[in-house]
Amino acid sequence: MSTYIIRRLLYTIPIVFGVLLLTFVLFILVGGDISVEIAGKGATQETIDEIREEYGLNKPLFLSWDSQFINHFKNSLTFNFGRARDREPVIDKIKRGLGPSLALTVPIFFGVVIISVSLALVAAFVRGTVWDILAVVICVAGMSIPYLSFILFGQYFLAYRWGLFPVFFSPELRMAQYVALPVLIGIAAGLGRNLRFFRTVMLDEMRNDYVRTAFAKGLTVRRVLFKHVLKNAMIPIITRVVLAIPFLFLGSLLLERFFGIPGLGYLMAEAIGSRDYFVISAMTYISALLFVVFNLITDTCYSLVDPRISLE
Amino acid sequence: MKFVRIVSTPLEVLCPCRKARPITRRRLSPNEARFLFRLLTGFTTALLIIAGCDGPGPAEEPNEMVLHHVLSAKIKGLDPGNMRDVYSVIVASQMFEPLYQYHFLKRPYELVPLLAEDMPQISDDLLTYTIKIKKGVYFQADPCFGSRPAGPLPDVKGRELKAEDFVFSLKRIANIKYLSQNWSIFDNKIAGLDEFREYTKTCKSEAAVDYSRQVEGLTTPDDYTLVIKLKRPWPQLCMALADTATAPVAKEAVDYYLSDIISHPVGTGPFRLNVWRRGSYIELVRNPAFRGELYPSSGEPGDAEAGYLDDAGKPMPFADRVVWTVIEERQPAWLLFLQGKVDATVIPKDNFDEVMGGAGELTPAMKQRNIHLKTFKDPSTYWLGFNMAEPVLGKNKPLRSTISYAIDCEKFIELFFNNRHLIAHGLIPPVMPSYNPEIKEKEYAKYDPEKARELLKEAEKIHGGQLPTLKITLPGANTWYRQYGQFLKRNLNAVGLEVETEYMDRPTYLEKVNTKSVQMFTSGGSARTPDAQDFLAMFYSRNHAPGQNKFNYSNPEFDELYEKAQAMLDGPEKRRLYRKMEIIVLEDCPAAFLNHRVAYVLHHDWYKNYKPHAFAYGLSKYRRIDLAKRAAYRELLKTIK
Repeated sequence: MSTYIIRRLLYTIPIVFGVLLLTFVLFILVGGDISVEIAGKGATQETIDEIREEYGLNKPLFLSWDSQFINHFKNSLTFNFGRARDREPVIDKIKRGLGPSLALTVPIFFGVVIISVSLALVAAFVRGTVWDILAVVICVAGMSIPYLSFILFGQYFLAYRWGLFPVFFSPELRMAQYVALPVLIGIAAGLGRNLRFFRTVMLDEMRNDYVRTAFAKGLTVRRVLFKHVLKNAMIPIITRVVLAIPFLFLGSLLLERFFGIPGLGYLMAEAIGSRDYFVISAMTYISALLFVVFNLITDTCYSLVDPRISLE
Repeated sequence: MKFVRIVSTPLEVLCPCRKARPITRRRLSPNEARFLFRLLTGFTTALLIIAGCDGPGPAEEPNEMVLHHVLSAKIKGLDPGNMRDVYSVIVASQMFEPLYQYHFLKRPYELVPLLAEDMPQISDDLLTYTIKIKKGVYFQADPCFGSRPAGPLPDVKGRELKAEDFVFSLKRIANIKYLSQNWSIFDNKIAGLDEFREYTKTCKSEAAVDYSRQVEGLTTPDDYTLVIKLKRPWPQLCMALADTATAPVAKEAVDYYLSDIISHPVGTGPFRLNVWRRGSYIELVRNPAFRGELYPSSGEPGDAEAGYLDDAGKPMPFADRVVWTVIEERQPAWLLFLQGKVDATVIPKDNFDEVMGGAGELTPAMKQRNIHLKTFKDPSTYWLGFNMAEPVLGKNKPLRSTISYAIDCEKFIELFFNNRHLIAHGLIPPVMPSYNPEIKEKEYAKYDPEKARELLKEAEKIHGGQLPTLKITLPGANTWYRQYGQFLKRNLNAVGLEVETEYMDRPTYLEKVNTKSVQMFTSGGSARTPDAQDFLAMFYSRNHAPGQNKFNYSNPEFDELYEKAQAMLDGPEKRRLYRKMEIIVLEDCPAAFLNHRVAYVLHHDWYKNYKPHAFAYGLSKYRRIDLAKRAAYRELLKTIK
């Protein structure tokens, strides 16, 4: 297994290089010169030139050891992402946004996974009954309603009308208080598609011979569902769940905007809107690294849950 | 703990061809219940751990006067020398003070001294300004002065303000390594300052610049006198010295905090920074080093009746704390306002009918909440601009006029602004002293599709055949911009013009406009001072893109008048020239002017001294909260709900 892991880690080198090259090409070559915009309204040419020098935009693009791409590559590898457009170090922005983003996305993630897997087991078990049909109808409805509607509805009724939660962030509140409603909305909005997926996975498992055998042997429902069915359904569950973890880092733009949570989703959207290349590049790079790492974890987990799979 | 679960028997699993048996109910076994209980406990614990990472801030004391404001965008930094976005300026203006300020109540707008002792003494040749600085003004206590601003025995004051602080702050803006966005204010204006800027090019970094180097036009005969010598007359200097960008910054603070100065404002103003959670919340508290200032005792007619003089002569600031929450979405800001957690707000477009009844009055629901409405004309103009460097439009005045006559501005304002804005009959907004009250009669912004069709025939003759499809570039791709684009397209199609629209993000748009790569573009501008120069500079031929003149418009007669007016003090003659220049622009039609913004602001009745001001930002010191009324509103809410 260690050979496999080392090999996979080596694969990350060309992937990371590709990501860095792609972001560079997209934002520096295609995106164009950002110095005029940084300089502001009515700036003189000399100010623009100075900004180009400050940000290294006057250096050659590729063909030099001091080229823009080589510097971009070196800085990314050392996590020195430079300063954002407002001159704050990019890494500080990311560190600051990480906590609020994870406070939002981690509970949503666990909430959605735990509830949808549990409900999927039950729905698969009672398939064809009115409860199963009801679950499917609710899933389809949940998938069809736009995310924004969940937010507007939740904020207006649950927070403003019924006063169950605060409408917006306030410093007097504990994080759990102002994060509670967005987490609830995130879980409600994400439940539909996840429940539907996990129900299908569980149904596939329920149709297998070993389930019938288990019941024939007189095992309890709980034992069959949690010990056998859930374990055998773990491969698709792991694929979906573990590969979703890197995206937790990116936060949730809409929830963060509507509830005043200064997370990374907000940061990324703002950076794209203002073409803050340094922030976009750093976020893309870190996301790519996380994705590669969690992809490896996913593959490793396969062998842990299913002894028939060996990593070579 | 007992859980009830609904299950069916495993029969259908054993034999899928058979129908499921009727649903039965049973209690969960102790093991199952324990499992679920552990699951939920784990989930709750995880939430509590996360919640425990961040404790709550201090709650508001019952008798504490706190102003609650909303910012609709994040602030970028609190260094006055290098900020131009309005939100940063709003917050920084409560902590930093320039030499002059606009009178809070008087209209037309009038400059009065703030850190200056009096208005400047101006030499006969209009080149030398001698400004006396107030004595006894102190920077707030800060570690950069070696003082202890916190702890059991905190220092109250920092260092006393000296004239040299103004010289340092202006030199700092000139320092090219500092990359100030405010350099354009002083570019080629003060004697010797451009040479100082040249010198800074030779320095390795911002910190390596020698600020003791003399600048001919910035001298301090003593600690309380500042002398500014200009290269040529610049009558707008006092207005520039009322801009927060020119507020004094202590050299000790710059040296101490270096690039982190954007997060450590050290000013002389009535408030100082207490908490800044970047991107979400900012809180200022009273500055104990503030010298004190009295609320104005006079204003314009009607101010006493409106209650604006109730606090005349009282020491400011009134508020103990000023709080801004960054809320970019309209719904939460509106709901917080209704909950009484925000003192004032603009009316969201979607809630306009809920707020405004007929005849421009508030609805009974708003009146029941004792909510007040303030409207004021904003010094802004919006337009559909034409790139005069582009061959099809630039050489075809009838075509530009066709477009101008084809746009139904009244309908535009009705559809997009709930009838709140004013039709722009010209370039200069009505709030400016040089506004021409007769401009409407000249009918430059008249909606006349018949005339547009006639002019189109003439335009086609000049072009030498059928006109190609024209293109409008808009700086956004959201629904609003798409509707805006559709509206313009429909209006122009109606008179026989083929038009296409392109939507893009603002940076790309700016780049296209600056490189003269657009044909028509939607844009607008807002004046920073009551002098209409900001608007007229947009048509001066030496300011072609990437400068302010995005229209790339040139007219020698306009240029001559512009240069003449530049050297004149404000007065009837200067205003006459401004109006003449406006007519020249309207005749040449480098843009179809659309609307002037009118702000509609709601505030609660506890929010006192809320008189809108078009040019001032440091206004929190004037605001007062009637705590009894605020408490009464909270009681009222219980009955409304």
